[in-house]
Amino acid sequence: MTETLSPDTGASTAPASGRRPPLRFARFRDLALVPAIVILLVVGALLDPTFLTTGNLLGVLQQQSALSLLVLAEAMILITGKFDLSLESTIGFAPVLAIALVVPTSAHGLGTEWAAWLAVPLCLLTGALIGAFNGLLILKFQLSAFIVTLGMLITVRGLHEGVSGGNSLFQIPQSFMFLGFETWLGLPLSVWISLALFVVGMVVLSYFRQGRSLYAVGGNVDAAKAAGIRTNKVIWTVLIIGGVLAALAGMLETGRLGAIGANLGDGMIFDVFAAAVIGGISLNGGKGTLFGALCGVLVLGLILNILRLTAVDGHWFNAIKGVIILLALVLSRLTTGKAQE
Amino acid sequence: MVPVRSSIKTVATVATVVLAAAACGQQSGGGTADGNAKVGVDFPRADSDFWNSYIKYVPQFGKELDVNLMPSTNSQNKVENLVANVQTLQGQGAKAIVMAPQDTGAIATTLQRLEQQKIPVVTVDTRPDSGKVYMVVRADNKAYGEKACKFLGEKLGKKGKVVEFQGALSSVNGRDRSEAFAKCMKDNYPEITVFEEPTDWEGSKAASALQTRLNQHPDIKGIYMQAGGVFLAPTLQVLRSTNHLLPAGDPNHIAIVSNDGIPQEFEAIRKGEIDATVSQPADLYAKWALFYAKAALEGKTFKPGPTDHESTIVDVGNGNLEDQLPAPLVTKDNVDDKALWGNQIGK
Repeated sequence: MTETLSPDTGASTAPASGRRPPLRFARFRDLALVPAIVILLVVGALLDPTFLTTGNLLGVLQQQSALSLLVLAEAMILITGKFDLSLESTIGFAPVLAIALVVPTSAHGLGTEWAAWLAVPLCLLTGALIGAFNGLLILKFQLSAFIVTLGMLITVRGLHEGVSGGNSLFQIPQSFMFLGFETWLGLPLSVWISLALFVVGMVVLSYFRQGRSLYAVGGNVDAAKAAGIRTNKVIWTVLIIGGVLAALAGMLETGRLGAIGANLGDGMIFDVFAAAVIGGISLNGGKGTLFGALCGVLVLGLILNILRLTAVDGHWFNAIKGVIILLALVLSRLTTGKAQE
Repeated sequence: MVPVRSSIKTVATVATVVLAAAACGQQSGGGTADGNAKVGVDFPRADSDFWNSYIKYVPQFGKELDVNLMPSTNSQNKVENLVANVQTLQGQGAKAIVMAPQDTGAIATTLQRLEQQKIPVVTVDTRPDSGKVYMVVRADNKAYGEKACKFLGEKLGKKGKVVEFQGALSSVNGRDRSEAFAKCMKDNYPEITVFEEPTDWEGSKAASALQTRLNQHPDIKGIYMQAGGVFLAPTLQVLRSTNHLLPAGDPNHIAIVSNDGIPQEFEAIRKGEIDATVSQPADLYAKWALFYAKAALEGKTFKPGPTDHESTIVDVGNGNLEDQLPAPLVTKDNVDDKALWGNQIGK
């Protein structure tokens, strides 16, 4: 059973130079959620004939694409042993600021009316800056990541309300909505984007020195330092990438919804953590894989879809959703036999 | 019977507040028949298009009606903030309070305290479950649900499938609209199937629900959204991406009724993308709330019955009066009416 031992155990497993482990996409631990997904697919198919149609399943993927990017970001940050709660505010604020800078004041803009094509880079830049600022407080001021990003969650949410004046922004440039709205080869672009980014993430985290160093830092910072890894640089980079991914998720969501509401992203961080943790990402850092996190996103999406198709009474919706998430956790614990962290 | 201990506590609170007011150097007269005394306004939230319009109208009508307005507070949709804000306003010398408690139960003790101190309260948009208020200013949210139901029912020829985006079920207005819509559908149009989608007022949840439902039932013919501000753009975007966005008049057009009456909804009605909305009178809310606050300070009293502004004052029990403002249904026929507040702002 060497497979179960392999790359998940942190610092000791940075690959020896020259010899890379053979390509194995789904390792044992990663497959923990596959039984849960299969069961959900079977249950869904039995409950409603529409469930297994491509239209419906593509809908699930599209609806989960923004969440999946947040989970990708959070998974990498958790693997590095840090926390970022502010992602749920970044997903709303980054697009709001970018749009407010380009639209006229009559559409609740800030009056700058910059060129419309600037909206996309501005949005991504905002995400990067929020990530960088988190990094500054966590690394240079040596503050707890949990509290720093909790403070940022509140601050950035407040900035969102302040900049938008609490209004929904309706007038969005077409270029900004392109990624979230268009389809390519029958699949929504947003699904392509999140799949592509997950594949890149999986490859980098499994086969590249830079990616492996995330596990090293998260598993044992001191050992990582001793091994010559510039740990602060790794953490900072991951936080910035996290902010950019959240901003990108905000763009996808804006394209899907056609406007930015004042509560976009509010409460989303709970789903992000639920998906990451049922996907096998450890809250203590150094463990878990992106494939697992992706499975977590799918599980959540399928649960929501089945509840919607069966038109569960609104008063009980959240209770049932919560119980099914707990069941998925138990199932993944039983199928792998490993203690959850 | 009020237990002794709690009345001692109340006396203590009163004393503290009086001391606080005196300490701040505010004039502390009895406040009878002084139309110029200070009026404190608390706004319920800052993140909805409807309430933002209300927030804009308050100072405007304050000037028009010559009300001595204090700087307003905002309780961010939380009743504990509202309680604290009211205390602050009182401390700053407010002699009348205008508030819009979104939690109609938990405000009871605050109302009791204000009554003991002879500070009249006008509530906007919601009617408190218990406690004394001078006047409730609101449009009947149950009527929103009913108007939407009747419009869709007739439009669809009394049969077919309808999707309903419910607001947060924990909010009284969301609940009122949902219950009235459900009851009206059941009583009048039993052949219409209603899919109730809980959304917590979130556009993202509404979009996902609609996409799923359209896959499941491609023959959906009607949509009722309980708040245009949050649901309009996501709904249109989903219909656009699934090729369901057809102008009114097309045989496959999906009939859409909304609530709120913001300018974007009017725009969509003109384009034929949606069919109707119920205009919730943000301007009248602000105007009549301040009117009654001033009237209370001047010592006026009101009786149930029709008013001079096309509304009716009704006795809602508890000795409380409610001025039920009209909330007109806006369709293509009257969408350009200048009197609608949605046509007055942003121009």
